[in-house]
Amino acid sequence: MRRFFKGKGLIGTVIVLAVLLVAVLAPLVIPDSFATQMNMRARLSGPTWEHFFGTDQLGRDLFYRVVLGAQTSIMIAGAAVLMSIVIGLPLGIVSGYFGGWIDNVLMRLVDTLLSFPALLLALTISAVLGPNLTNTIIAIGVAFTPFLARIIRGEALRVAQMPYVEAARAAGTTDAWMILRHILPNIMPAIIVQSTISLAFAILAEAGLSFLGLGTQPPEASWGLMIQASRDYLDVAPWTALVPGAAVAMTVLGLNLFGDTLRDVLDPRTET
Amino acid sequence: MAYILNRLLSVLLTLFLISVITFAVTNILPGDVAMMIMGTQSNPEALAGLRETLGLNDPLVVQYGRWIGGLLTGDWGQSLVFKEAIGPLIAQKVVASSLIVVMSMAVALIAAIPLGVWAAVHRDRWQDSTSSTAALVGVSLPDFFWGIMLILLFARALGWLPSSGFVHPGDDFLGAIRHAFLPSLALGLGLMAHLTRMTRATMIGIMGQEFIRVARAKGLSEREVVWSYGLRNAVGPVLTVAGLQIGYLFGSIIVIESLFNFTGMGWLTYQALLNRDIPLIQSTVFVIAAVVMLTNFLVDLLYVVIDPRIRLS
Repeated sequence: MRRFFKGKGLIGTVIVLAVLLVAVLAPLVIPDSFATQMNMRARLSGPTWEHFFGTDQLGRDLFYRVVLGAQTSIMIAGAAVLMSIVIGLPLGIVSGYFGGWIDNVLMRLVDTLLSFPALLLALTISAVLGPNLTNTIIAIGVAFTPFLARIIRGEALRVAQMPYVEAARAAGTTDAWMILRHILPNIMPAIIVQSTISLAFAILAEAGLSFLGLGTQPPEASWGLMIQASRDYLDVAPWTALVPGAAVAMTVLGLNLFGDTLRDVLDPRTET
Repeated sequence: MAYILNRLLSVLLTLFLISVITFAVTNILPGDVAMMIMGTQSNPEALAGLRETLGLNDPLVVQYGRWIGGLLTGDWGQSLVFKEAIGPLIAQKVVASSLIVVMSMAVALIAAIPLGVWAAVHRDRWQDSTSSTAALVGVSLPDFFWGIMLILLFARALGWLPSSGFVHPGDDFLGAIRHAFLPSLALGLGLMAHLTRMTRATMIGIMGQEFIRVARAKGLSEREVVWSYGLRNAVGPVLTVAGLQIGYLFGSIIVIESLFNFTGMGWLTYQALLNRDIPLIQSTVFVIAAVVMLTNFLVDLLYVVIDPRIRLS
């Protein structure tokens, strides 16, 4: 526990908590209009007292946009990771626990899906379904599933060979009870660590998708979308890219540091 | 030999599955090729006629058979956006992408291996934390953000390198390298960070082993111990990870090539997806997945060559 209060653990924890707090509270405290209010006289203005982080091409305040955009980015990433766990968990557990032909078939499928770069898979799904907020979640969620299923399978396989599982089996435990009572609790640490790291990747993926125009659509404000909008004004107003870029970088950095610390605490075998 | 044969069969099976998945995903698309060609406002009878001639009313299995048959015999169909034969189009774009994939891999490895070794040798000291922090920042920034920064710095502010376009290496080799440099660097930086972390972890594991202690006890210089004993054993795992990152690279080129207007496979795939050019989507997605899978297969083989211990187990 102490690891969360010093060094990289502390930095990670503080960033993650701060971003979560902003994502949850900002939309409650700051009215939407602060981020959508256009001010044509202050277009592409640099940082001033009035606008801390400057304004974008429509004179909208970048500070409020980045703060309110946090919710969209975090929500999409969170929902996508949740989705990949909901699909990947049963697949991985069934594969790792039962083994045999089910394992062969499922893992052959997962390995095939892993040949598709996650971003390509997400982009294709998003283009096929039509880009919007819900489909961005589905696209990232599906694209991340094979990876999670693989990791969960490995963990389930490892736990299924533990002496306590054998003992429980000898005592006549049914498969369903075994999975719920013995397998699931013991693979939980690995899943939690992996979800934190996946969350970082999901934020990057959302930014990438939106940057290409195949993710979140205006008028939503997500970080990737803000970077995309900045492309045409890089020469005159580089801060329009720097502000949302820094928000992405800080959040992902925080999640990585937090994830590393979580791994050291929950899953010391893989300590790097 | 049996190992290689076995792997080869598995490669063929995976290629088949990749083609099935690609075909399945693109067939969920609302609207079909006939609609794409004639537009949504077209006359329903003409549309039905075109569907019939294109064979879109056949069962999906038949359509899949026709597609895969075309792929195998070299008839990859026509792109709807570019109005060109897809086969030659892809062949030409693959050259462009290979250039930046190879260059970014080189950038990443050249920097990552020394950095990772340096961090591992000075474990838990300032050298380690500097290199580890830099690597962590590297993995945390989206690659297109690196791209934007590089454009601002090297193209706009300093004016040293071009920020957009592709030049064929056959036409002007130096120009090709200059145009590919910034996109490769943008791709390579994230990869470098990842590989640095990997090299460090692998080296730390190896430097704790018995044979390293033996080498030191023999009186070899620390330099020799690290580079010829430690690193030699770390190269295998690091190369494997680097090979696995090919998949990541082929995802990232879609963003980076679009940003730098570098007309390679990533750019082509993006154009296909944006314009819903179904035949082109199918071919580009299939080619990328196949390349990623085959690279991983080759890396596996290479690993067997580098490390004979694998062959025995």
